[in-house]
Amino acid sequence: MQKTEVFVVKKVLKIVLAASLFLSSSIGIAEENIDVPKDELVQETVYPVFDNPVSVKNRNVQDSHAIDVGIFGGLALTEPISNTTKMGVAFNYHLNYTHSVGLVWAKNSSGLSKDAQGIKEQFGLDYGRAPAPDYAVLVDYNYKAYYGKLSLTSNGVINTTIYGSFAGGMIKYVHKSYPMLAVGIGERFYFTKSLSLKMDLRLYAHQAPIPFKAGALCDGSKATCGGGGQTTPGRDPVPSYDSFEERLTYTTNLEFGMNYLF
Amino acid sequence: MKKNILKGCLIHILAFVSFLGWHSNADAATKRNQKTVVSTTRKQSPANSKIYTATKSTLQRSQLANALGLMKSGQYPQAANSFLSLSRRSDLASERSQIKYYLGLCMMEMSLNQAAAFQFVDVIKSSDKRWTRQAIEKLLIVTDRLGDETLLNYAIQRIDVNQVPTQYRDMLYFRLAEIKHKAGLFTEAVNLYNKVGSQSRFYYSALYGKGLAQAEGKQPDLALASFKQLLDMRSSARVTDVNKVAAQLSIARTYYQKQNWEKAIEAYSAIPRDSFMWHEALFEKTWAMLRAARFRSTLSNFQTLHSTFYEDAYIPETLLLRSIVYLYICKYDEMEKVVDLFDTQYGPISKKINAYLNQNHSSENYFQEVNKAFIVKKDAESNKSFSIPYNAIKHIAEEGDVRRTYSYLKKLNEERKLVDENPNLRATPMGVYASGIITNRLKSARSIIGEMVKAHLLNMRVELKDLNEQASFIRYEMINGKKETLKKRINGKTMAEETDSENQDRAFYIKNGYEYYPFQGEYWLDEVGNYHYLGKQSCE
Repeated sequence: MQKTEVFVVKKVLKIVLAASLFLSSSIGIAEENIDVPKDELVQETVYPVFDNPVSVKNRNVQDSHAIDVGIFGGLALTEPISNTTKMGVAFNYHLNYTHSVGLVWAKNSSGLSKDAQGIKEQFGLDYGRAPAPDYAVLVDYNYKAYYGKLSLTSNGVINTTIYGSFAGGMIKYVHKSYPMLAVGIGERFYFTKSLSLKMDLRLYAHQAPIPFKAGALCDGSKATCGGGGQTTPGRDPVPSYDSFEERLTYTTNLEFGMNYLF
Repeated sequence: MKKNILKGCLIHILAFVSFLGWHSNADAATKRNQKTVVSTTRKQSPANSKIYTATKSTLQRSQLANALGLMKSGQYPQAANSFLSLSRRSDLASERSQIKYYLGLCMMEMSLNQAAAFQFVDVIKSSDKRWTRQAIEKLLIVTDRLGDETLLNYAIQRIDVNQVPTQYRDMLYFRLAEIKHKAGLFTEAVNLYNKVGSQSRFYYSALYGKGLAQAEGKQPDLALASFKQLLDMRSSARVTDVNKVAAQLSIARTYYQKQNWEKAIEAYSAIPRDSFMWHEALFEKTWAMLRAARFRSTLSNFQTLHSTFYEDAYIPETLLLRSIVYLYICKYDEMEKVVDLFDTQYGPISKKINAYLNQNHSSENYFQEVNKAFIVKKDAESNKSFSIPYNAIKHIAEEGDVRRTYSYLKKLNEERKLVDENPNLRATPMGVYASGIITNRLKSARSIIGEMVKAHLLNMRVELKDLNEQASFIRYEMINGKKETLKKRINGKTMAEETDSENQDRAFYIKNGYEYYPFQGEYWLDEVGNYHYLGKQSCE
């Protein structure tokens, strides 16, 4: 294997230094002095002038005209009722170094969120009677605004891209499908030239049934649930999914995935 | 002296009166004025120009006066047309110099410097002493604006410095110094550079030129003093100020000339990275480091110079230099890679240059090639195919003589555009006349550039041939070195190869805001110049 004999010595921002110091102490690598004559160390933070300057040449991550596939898991941070977790697969075609388009399929986990489960146990309100999201299919566009690299331990370098994402598609509830839009930002960390960890923070917007429906959610486990007029105390008749009102709903999602670039 | 001034004033008054119509006195005034015009050093601008004529024809007199009136009122295109028409008339042959001079003045005002220059040359050639001095003076100005060295030299060789108005003397001294400098007359050049006043716009260039002439005249200490003076004078200018950086670079070069490698390295290191001269400084600093036997540092710089940011640079000797450094530190594998790279990169370039030169192309073909290089340099997106390898033609495009002539060509193009885009001018006799002159000059300038390109290519061919031979010697040394290493190994005198990189526990040590990380094949703009070779020598 080719040994690395060339290093880059750079003046870096204090914040990066601080982060590096913290990491170096936390991973406990022995310190070593590298003697480079002072007159060879860069004195300025300006860039050299070229006729047609570009930021990077011979880039490690060649994601222009490339396909990448990946799997991911997600968490709906602002979902109060339905199960907040999901899993999915993503497929992307990178048109060039800046733009990519792809397809995302995400399957929601069934059941209730922890909060909704607690409400059920404590108050006998069963939000499982309300329609829940099943899966979503999205056409995803990414604008890769930044390509850079990180060196946390000086032993290696990780490339990274930061991008904005715009997606549109359908979300399927147990009874009905709704059109959906999503905007977000994401970042990929390339451990190798192909394998990357992907993080996405997306805001979804779509029509969705309102799960809070009076006289429909008491499951009979708590006699005190609900008001009068119930044939069985604390038990509402099971409502049909179509009886729930709908409104525009926003959900913030955090997704983590592993992608492989071909 | 006082007497002369009084005489001059009197004659001008008389001339003015004659212009107003006192015909009886006109002849006498003109005769006296012939002397005055030669001796005066007052600036002649279109606004205070006068017609001095010996003609007795009222019609001719009024036609001349009309043309002058148009010029005075700022109607230069109309005035120029009138003067052009008058200049072609045989009955005004005796006034032709004067008419041509005013025609030139009108053209100057219209920014048609090349066309104007030709009028002044005509006046100078006519040997009409009444107008020669003014014509030379104006020729000096227009050629300076154009950057036309041929005509500039033509003007300068005919001028008496003492008769040139004070405001142009600095420019004249500077240009004269340049001519002497180019001719290798360094002492005379220094004397002339010294005469350029400190208030002149040529002062800093003169100071730089002076240092250069002193350095070329083998007076490095004096040269250093001149460059340091320039640097001090520009100390408050912005970091990338051209004069400041040029002075700093020259200081480094002078130390190199004095073989003071460490001082040279220090001076090269002070060149700002965001100056266009930084690349040259880096390259030269590498040589200084090699001479100072700082091999590790030399290899560090090569990492930058051989990065993909310089993939279109023509720097064949750096590859051979790098291989020689590897030879010094017994890195034969690396050495082989670099020599192979030289063959891969510059072998085809050499072949293509040879083929092109053997095809007997015209000057225009050579010009077209370099012109494409200028276009691509400005706009990388423009798709141009080159018959001469881009590295080579780009390098030629950056040569001083080519750049200067190309800049002159650009000014000619601007001038032609000025005529072509003005319908009121284009269709007039003046427009057609100016257009003809500019077209001819354009053709000539393109041809000159073509010849320059050809000359540079011929030099390149010789250089590459020479470097190719050197590459063969280097290969021989490499094989020899490998053989010696093997012999030692067979004899059991082996030494474990050590490099800093073997220590996989390499930690980072942050000192004064610096951090390091390994190079992994990717080149970043902000990293250019910050690569450091940390390998060690492998000699046994």
